[in-house]
Amino acid sequence: MGMSNLQFLIIILLSPLLQGIIKKMKAYAQGRVGPGVLQPYWDLARLFRKDMVISETASWIFHATPFIVFLSTLAASLMVPVITPDAPVLAIGDIIALLYTLALGRFFLVLAGLDAGTAFGGEGSSREATVAILVEPMMMLAIFTSAVAGGSTKLSVISKSMHILDSPAHVLAFAAFFVALIADTGRVPVDNPDTHLELTMIHEGMVLEYSGRYLALLEWAHYMKQMLLFTIAIDLFFPFGIKGDALRSALFYIIKLLVLAAAMAATESSRAKLRFFQLPSLLGGAFVLSLLSLITFVMLGR
Amino acid sequence: MTGNEIYRDVTKEEFPQECSRLFNGGNGRLRTMFAADLRETGEGFCIYAVFSRAQEDRFEILRLKNIEGKDGAYSFPSITPAVPAAHWYERQIADMFGLVPSGHPDLHPLVLHGLYPPEVYPLRRDISPEAIGRQLALEKEDLSPFMEVKGEGIYEIPVGPVHAGIIEPGHFRFSAVGETIYYLDARLFYTHKGVEKLFERTGFRAGVRLAERVSGVSSFAHSAAYCMALERMSGTLLPARAAAIRTLLLEMERLYNHVGDIGNMCAGTGFAVGYAQGASLKERLMALNERLTGSRYLRGVNAPGGVLADPLDEPAGTLREIEDITKEYKSFISFLTDSVSHVERLENAGVLSRPVALSLGATGVAARASGLNDDIRTTHPHLYYNQLVFETHTRMKGDVFARMMLRADEVECSIAIIRSILHKAKGKRIEGSILSEWEAPANKSGQALGYVEGPRGSVFYFVKSAADGTPLRVKPRAASFCNWPLMPFAVHGNIVPDFPLINKSFNLSYSGSDA
Repeated sequence: MGMSNLQFLIIILLSPLLQGIIKKMKAYAQGRVGPGVLQPYWDLARLFRKDMVISETASWIFHATPFIVFLSTLAASLMVPVITPDAPVLAIGDIIALLYTLALGRFFLVLAGLDAGTAFGGEGSSREATVAILVEPMMMLAIFTSAVAGGSTKLSVISKSMHILDSPAHVLAFAAFFVALIADTGRVPVDNPDTHLELTMIHEGMVLEYSGRYLALLEWAHYMKQMLLFTIAIDLFFPFGIKGDALRSALFYIIKLLVLAAAMAATESSRAKLRFFQLPSLLGGAFVLSLLSLITFVMLGR
Repeated sequence: MTGNEIYRDVTKEEFPQECSRLFNGGNGRLRTMFAADLRETGEGFCIYAVFSRAQEDRFEILRLKNIEGKDGAYSFPSITPAVPAAHWYERQIADMFGLVPSGHPDLHPLVLHGLYPPEVYPLRRDISPEAIGRQLALEKEDLSPFMEVKGEGIYEIPVGPVHAGIIEPGHFRFSAVGETIYYLDARLFYTHKGVEKLFERTGFRAGVRLAERVSGVSSFAHSAAYCMALERMSGTLLPARAAAIRTLLLEMERLYNHVGDIGNMCAGTGFAVGYAQGASLKERLMALNERLTGSRYLRGVNAPGGVLADPLDEPAGTLREIEDITKEYKSFISFLTDSVSHVERLENAGVLSRPVALSLGATGVAARASGLNDDIRTTHPHLYYNQLVFETHTRMKGDVFARMMLRADEVECSIAIIRSILHKAKGKRIEGSILSEWEAPANKSGQALGYVEGPRGSVFYFVKSAADGTPLRVKPRAASFCNWPLMPFAVHGNIVPDFPLINKSFNLSYSGSDA
């Protein structure tokens, strides 16, 4: 059982690879060769070695945020079953604790964006807060459908209860969760992770003033958060194969992860970003989906 | 041959009235306006204003000469109150010559920022660039203020002058309420290279290389307009084959610019696949440029009197490549117009209204997408254009989508022109030499305009030679110089994250405007 407590290492160590794979898929869609899938590791290594440039107006918040964001993401990954739901460490928190641990990181990131005293950071923070207000309740509701079906808010119990995508309620909940996934990982059509246009940035705007190892920590935490959210989606909606043999479960996990990554890359490649003020329509629509999902579940009983 | 240029000296009193009559009396356009230091010929400081009308091929050039000054402070009556399109020209004249347009409603430095020594006017003939260089106050901060908008909840977003990505420098100061842009103040001219001064030193012939470098992606338009001015000044007749080649290459330049610009708008909406497709298509066109002329940017082709390369010698192969590119372009453009999420972002964004475009003297795509039919290929036929049958286009809405679709219309038009020239060349109907002798007018002073419709709009050159055949004044006017002042109007009321998209839909040149 000791080893199963270490499954969060998978998220820490392989999340840059997942990012590299998504980037590679997007490059193919654009007809480019693209950088190798290991590029995010090289980027992190490079950033860790670099000097930092820090704004004169920056307070302790600016210095503390990279650590808070990294550690809160780390703590959140302790609460997620990756390849086995039977790890004792999973008892430390449920899905609600997990989401609010992530929200702690986001809260500090928003503060840090304001802290450096630049216009782009402030813009990024204000937009991030707007998006967060719309995404969080929608994500919670989508998760509640699975939680009610599984009879617990603990991810290990939900994933063991094996409610896969087989009822209308789960399909609706997954659709809403996927939108939340796009918004929370800062991807098109909500945000554009590859842009250099400061005026359009959300997540990138908040971290624009960071450099060197602080930036490396934030980037790494962002990769981890992405993989974490993918893993939660798998636990909630596609938990088949997670029980039993660890090797078989790991294989299933990788396949599911790749499918989700491909879905993400395809979504990003097939459309333009939404105009900022149209985001509430998308996110509000997803909220309605998650609400419908819960109602459907209560009425149909499955 | 300067048959369509009518020069007229006017008095100080007549000047504003005559300008107002030419500009406001039905479809008048201010093509360019500039000063010249003609003290050595006894004409003193002169102001030239070049007008033309859309319906007749005639330029009316008003000249105000011997501008008077008291104690070295020269001033002339501003025409901006009657001709709003003159507002940047007059500020430029004030900066570069120290001639003050009295009555200008918004007079403050345009080209020269705070670092410049005061009361040094770089384009006066007795000032040398080296002397200015020694007086630059590099330790001084640039303190000239931006337009300030006051009110509750208004905040400023400074952007630039150094931007992310590989683009030119320019400082934009947004005054925004929440995400909504209230006012945009742009400070440009960071890439001012002193081109006009350099023209006077290099001599006419070598000036072609300089003209090619005023604005990178309009290299050919600039060198063609410059050479045309030189040829008209000396009365040199351009061989028909050279005219056809220039026309072909002007359209090739328009083609790669328009295709690239359409693709670039996808970067503004975060539509990565469209952006990548546009970039690869543009690359094919630039590779074709290189094959035809040896230069991706079509440089080193133009020379006074003709052209130095002959891209018409193997028309069949070029035709095949053009057909191939056309096929790829058609699927590209229908892919974009079928992408609802992309089109949705473009519609109703960055609307430039027709009255604003008209009074501020918009040119090119910016003007034609706002309903102004202004294409000097047809209003002032030149080169080979009067031998060709083609249609010019306008769109009425003035938004980002109109500018994209106008470019798409013009791509089709350019392809048609290129095809028809290549077919004529294939049928051996454009023969003869490609270069004739050119000499500057001897023993007398000469002057002329040169003009072409470049990818971003009309490009004008004015050249004037001294009696010994050296340049007395060369004035380039890039399309972007006319269009930059439109930006604050187009972005007003839009949201901040839409600015890059609106900016890309105009895709103005900093270098061309800054000169």
